[in-house]
Amino acid sequence: MGIDRSFLEKPVSEMTPDEYRLMILEPEKDTDHICWNCRHFKPVIKNSNFPPADIIGWCKKIHWPFYWCIPEHRIVKKCYAYEPIK
Amino acid sequence: MLIKQGKKGLDKKFERIPLEDQPGPKSQEEMDEMKMPYEEYCRKVFDVGNEFVKPTALKGIRWLSTTMYIFTPHSVTNLAELGAEVIKIEMPRMGDPMRHTSPFNEAYVYPLHDTRPMTGTGVACFNANVNEYYISMDYHREEIKEAFYTLVRMSDGLTQCYRPGTFDRWKQSYRYLQEINPRFISVWGGGFGYGPKIWGGSYDILGQAHAGLASITGFHEDFGGHPTKSTNWNIDWYSGTQITVAILAALLWRRKTGLGTKIEFSQVQASTRCLEYGVPLYGRFGIVRQRWGNWDTQLCVHGIIICGKSDYPNDKNPQLRDEARYVMVSAFNDPDFKELCNVIKRPDLYEKYKTHKQRVEAEAQVEIYHELEKWAADKSRSEVTRILKDAGLLAMPVYNDKEVYESPHFRQRGTVRWQADPWYGDAVVHSTYSAGLMSKTPRRKFWDLRPVGGDNVKIYHELLGIPLSTIKEWYEKTII
Amino acid sequence: MCDIIWCKKVKEDGTVCNTVNYLDPFNFWNWEGTIACAECGTVYYIHMIQGWMYRGPEEQPPGTKPDILPVYADKPLEGYVRYRPGVEGRTRPYLCLPRDIYLGVPDPRRFSIRGYPVRGWPNQPPSTGIAGSAGFKWEIEKLSPEVWQEFLEKKKKGEVRDW
Ligand SMILES: [Zn+2]
Repeated sequence: MGIDRSFLEKPVSEMTPDEYRLMILEPEKDTDHICWNCRHFKPVIKNSNFPPADIIGWCKKIHWPFYWCIPEHRIVKKCYAYEPIK
Repeated sequence: MLIKQGKKGLDKKFERIPLEDQPGPKSQEEMDEMKMPYEEYCRKVFDVGNEFVKPTALKGIRWLSTTMYIFTPHSVTNLAELGAEVIKIEMPRMGDPMRHTSPFNEAYVYPLHDTRPMTGTGVACFNANVNEYYISMDYHREEIKEAFYTLVRMSDGLTQCYRPGTFDRWKQSYRYLQEINPRFISVWGGGFGYGPKIWGGSYDILGQAHAGLASITGFHEDFGGHPTKSTNWNIDWYSGTQITVAILAALLWRRKTGLGTKIEFSQVQASTRCLEYGVPLYGRFGIVRQRWGNWDTQLCVHGIIICGKSDYPNDKNPQLRDEARYVMVSAFNDPDFKELCNVIKRPDLYEKYKTHKQRVEAEAQVEIYHELEKWAADKSRSEVTRILKDAGLLAMPVYNDKEVYESPHFRQRGTVRWQADPWYGDAVVHSTYSAGLMSKTPRRKFWDLRPVGGDNVKIYHELLGIPLSTIKEWYEKTII
Repeated sequence: MCDIIWCKKVKEDGTVCNTVNYLDPFNFWNWEGTIACAECGTVYYIHMIQGWMYRGPEEQPPGTKPDILPVYADKPLEGYVRYRPGVEGRTRPYLCLPRDIYLGVPDPRRFSIRGYPVRGWPNQPPSTGIAGSAGFKWEIEKLSPEVWQEFLEKKKKGEVRDW
C-alpha cells in the first residue's frame, strides 16, 4: 500500500477508535489515495459486489450532504478537507 | 344599431353592455362578498360543514375499481370523493385483502358479510374506498363475463392492479375493452410495469426502497443511522394520487379527442418524483446524497429537537409519556438565528456562525443542535414552543394522532371531524374533507365502507337490469 | 449481528451470575457507555464500533450508574430463564411498545371515544338482503336493541360528547 496503514500491525488494545473502525471495514481496494488515512473516508468493503467497480470508497466531507464516489484511477494526493485519522 | 356621440350617446353605449360583461359585482350577494375581509370571505366560500349541498366536480363520471389494498384503491377514492360514481368489484365472500389486514389484528368493524359473522373488516381499509358501491364478482366464471362488459360499456374507465397480462388473459385488458367502448380509459397500477422486473409485485415499502427514498430517510450513518422507511404507507397514498392526476388528464384528453387511453403506473418508480435534486446531481458530479435525519441540509436552524420533559409526564401511554417531547424549530436567517442564540443564552454561537453558509455546514449543525437540546433538556415541549414563539421564532410541537385530533386548526377547517358511517357507525374522519384542499366543489364522504357485495342488487339489478332470480342464482353459485 | 455480555460475576452466595445480556445492533452499532447486567446489576463499560466490541466489557466499581440497559437477557444454562424487553430496572424500557390497549387479540368496541355507537363487535345479527345487498342505515335499534339502550343511558348521564 502506498499509504501508511501500519497501525494494522498493532494489537487491538493499542488501536485508536478510528484505527479500529478501519480494521473492521476491511477495504476491497489498495491504492495510493491520501483518503485511506483520512477521517472522512468510507471505504468500499471487501467482497461487496454492489458499488461500481472503479471506486475505492466515498468521501463524506467534500460534497456534504452528498457522498463523493472516489474514483480508483484518479489518485487523490492532496485535499483541502484532509484530516488524518486519530 | 348606430350609436350617437355626445354625452347622451355615451350613456346609451354603456347601457348596451350586458350586465354580466361589465366589471364589478353582479348582485347584492356578490357585492357583499367583495366587501368582505379575506378571512371571512374564505369561510363563506368554502363553507365548512355544508359540503353535502355543494356541486360535485366529477358528477357524471362512472369508474370501475378492481383494486386491492391502498395504492390503486386510493386512485379511485379521490374520484369518488369528488363526486364520481365508483363501483368497487371484490371477490365473493372474501373482499379486498385489505379488509383482513387490520392493525394488531384487532381493530375491526362488523360484519364483513352475513355468511361470516365472526370476521370483520379491518379499519385499515378506511379512507381507501370511500363512497363506492361494492359488488362481488368472480371474473373466472363465464356466466358473469357479459355483466362485466356491460359495466365497461356504461363506464368511463377502470383501475386495476392485477399482475401484468392477467387482465389480458381474462380478455379484460385495454385492447379488448376499447373495442366495446372506444372512450374507455384503462388504468393499470402495480409494482414495476413493463421492463426487466415485469412480474415483480408492489408494496409500499418496495416503493420507498426501490426509488431511493428510504436510502435518504433516517439519521446519518455517523450517528448510527440506517436507511429507514416511513412507518405508514406513504408511497401507496402518494402513488394513488399520482394516478388520479393521470385519470383527470385522460378525461380531458378524451373530451378533446373522443378517445380513451391506457395508463400504466409503476409504483416503485413513483418516489423519484420527490427525490429533489439528488439524481440530477448524481448525473453532474457522480455523487450520492447522504441522510441528514431531523435536520436540514440547506437550512440551519431548521429541524426537530428533543426536549427533556414530556407534555404528558404521567400518562400511562408511553407514546405520550415518553415521546411527546419533540419540537420543530426554524431560525435560519441572520436576525432569527441571533435571537435564537440570545434566547438560549449562547450569543457566542452567533458570533461563531454569523453567516448562514457557516452554520449550514455539517459540523456547525452538530454543534448548534447539540446546544439547543442542552438548553431544552430541563424544559417541556410546550415550554420550549412558548419561549421560542414569544421570541418571534417559528416553533411547532411534533404532533401525534391525539394532538392532530385536538388541534383547533384541523377542526376549524373541517379536516378532522366526527361522522357516522351509515353502516359501521361513529368514526373520526381525517382524510376526506379538505385534507389541506379547500374548494367550492369540495370533497365529501357519504360512507367509508360497505359489506362485501352490499350493492349487488343496486348494480346488477337496478343498473344492469339483470333479473333478481339470476342474481340469486349467481349468489348461490358464488359467482357473485 | 448482535453482541452479548455474558456476565460471569460471582454473587454473594458464591454462585455465578451466568446471564447473557443482548446488545441489539440498532442501539449499539456505534456506542460507548455503561450498561448493567439484567440479573445482578453489575455495570460494564463497553465501546462498540461498527457493531464490534472495541473496548470492554470492563466491570465498573459498584454504585456506578448505568447509561443503558440490555434489550433483553436470558440464562441459557438454567433452561433459558428470560428477562423480556421492558422489565423495569432490568431490561430497557421498550418505548415503541404498542399502547397498552393494543392486546393483539380483538378488542370489540361498542362505542367510540365520544360515546356514539360503533359496529365494532363480532357476531352481528344478519342484516343484508338478496345476494348480500345492504341498506344505507345501521338499524341499531332493531338489530342490537341492548346497545341502543346502553347508548340512551350514556346520553342521559352526559357521557356522549361532540368531541
Ligand atoms: Zn450478572
